[in-house]
Amino acid sequence: MLKQEINELLTQTGPGTPMGALFRQYWIPALLAEELPEDDCPPVRVKLLSERLIAFRDSEGRYGLMDEFCAHRGVSLWFGRNEESGLRCAYHGWKYDVTGQCVEIPSEPDERQSSLCAKIKLTSYPLIKIGEVLWTYMGDPKDTPDLPQWEFAQVPREQSYTSKRWQECNWLQALEGGIDSSHVSWLHSGGLKNDPLFKGARGNNYNLADRKPFFEVVESDGGLFIGVRRNAEEGHYYWRITPWVMPSFTMIPPRGDHPIHGHFWIPIDDENCWVFSYDYHPVRPLTEQERQAMEDGHGVHNEYVPGTYRPLQNKDNDYLMDREAQKRGDTYSGVRGISMQDASLQESMGPIVDRTKERLVSTDGGIIMARRKLWRAVEALRDEGVPPPGVDVAHQRVRSAAVVLPSDQSFVEGCGDALRVRPGEKHASV
Amino acid sequence: MQRQPTLLSSCSRAATAAETRYRIDAPGFTRRSSRVIALDPHAAEIVRRLEGQRWSGGHFLVFESALPGDALLRPAAGGTALLSAELQGADAVVMLASARASAEAASVIGEACAARSIMSAGLVVPGAGPVGEVVSALRPNAMVLVVLQDAGDIPEVLSALRV
Repeated sequence: MLKQEINELLTQTGPGTPMGALFRQYWIPALLAEELPEDDCPPVRVKLLSERLIAFRDSEGRYGLMDEFCAHRGVSLWFGRNEESGLRCAYHGWKYDVTGQCVEIPSEPDERQSSLCAKIKLTSYPLIKIGEVLWTYMGDPKDTPDLPQWEFAQVPREQSYTSKRWQECNWLQALEGGIDSSHVSWLHSGGLKNDPLFKGARGNNYNLADRKPFFEVVESDGGLFIGVRRNAEEGHYYWRITPWVMPSFTMIPPRGDHPIHGHFWIPIDDENCWVFSYDYHPVRPLTEQERQAMEDGHGVHNEYVPGTYRPLQNKDNDYLMDREAQKRGDTYSGVRGISMQDASLQESMGPIVDRTKERLVSTDGGIIMARRKLWRAVEALRDEGVPPPGVDVAHQRVRSAAVVLPSDQSFVEGCGDALRVRPGEKHASV
Repeated sequence: MQRQPTLLSSCSRAATAAETRYRIDAPGFTRRSSRVIALDPHAAEIVRRLEGQRWSGGHFLVFESALPGDALLRPAAGGTALLSAELQGADAVVMLASARASAEAASVIGEACAARSIMSAGLVVPGAGPVGEVVSALRPNAMVLVVLQDAGDIPEVLSALRV
């Protein structure tokens, strides 16, 4: 349960809000690199943290992310022409470079160009490519943090795959699904048996056999480690450990030798978010079958309405609910696919769930602590200017793990370095 | 597969902000009856401070000693109580423990909760030394175990659980 004012504090991320200020401390995923595939390609409208922006890639391969609307008459630059190292407004030809600087006003005399243009600059943010993701930092330039070092974006391209999808609810309720491991044994029970990117792991048997897991939540420098234990062989527990790094990065514990996957939840506005979903293997290329399964929407990925990043299964078609599949046990909820099983339920809560009315139980310990850490970090930033956890790249070098440990051992001790990035070493998984 | 047409009751309409105002505005649950039990003197100080705040009916207690098949507790407000009596009607128990907590206290309370199917949680509070041993002691006895770095989080965690 949260008080209404705290619910609002944590869910509102627009300009001038405390949580918005927190998000603006980080490099966040803005687009997939595939959205700006070549120099002078069409610009892309982007909304992030309740700001309408336009992204483009200029003739020299530089990426730009700036105010969507022309400074002249407020026309959308989405209609613009991306040419000769700038984005030109289609209305009167005003042209901007990747920093938002106006570089040409064709209607004005040549001798006045430079002085007029110098006074016109759209708000812009840096946009850089790391891995297959374009990242932006929307905070104060003087506080720009080091570039992000998430392992999924740093391994060679053939070892990683990233997708994104539009989710029609507030970012926080989507994130909370990612740190709520207890739902896996229920909602995703079908996927553990059928999904090509999940099935076959020994750990799945523990998941399916013990539906009353115990939780252990330990604070980390960047956020939390959420350990969930289920019964394994005599005298042992099966632990699944999910790192959450502030504000919205999670990594799902692995299964067997399958790639590791996880998410970034990025607010579009207060009632919508982007879910960036990644899969990677730390030591080997993804197989053709794995990559094909990801492209086909298995695992944490999804199918799309053609030509968009909207899931094919969405609330307009009731997520293609299949009651027969539900009855047969192919899926637990009747919705196909792990990501859409999550999204359908999270969207059903409404755009921003009313947390004053919930009744949390012991398995919600991770959610309770994540909210508390966000709240604490928001206040520390707002009141004292303290940079939040997760900005430091050292906090980003984490891994999830799935291990069987003796019952008297803590997962922190038992996993040791397995919860840290170890370049060239395989992840800990059963 | 046969599909039904999109109706007014479909997800596209049901999940809108406008529709949330038609949600039944009555709690789908009765008030939780919670017990917060300090397992050691350091945690007891915290419990005594918490007891003076406004809660939703939770009882704040301190573990005193084990008894055969039971335990003696001290309510933060004064007097004594038996664990067995406190657990009657309780549906959640939060054990508050620092590094000084005894494994016996965690075991007695945890087993009593398990026997009565009462939700149990353990909050390990900072400030009294390394917590490795108390975490091990609480692990088999709490359905959720949270190791805190900041004692200031305790009231918020308890509020979230509607203590």
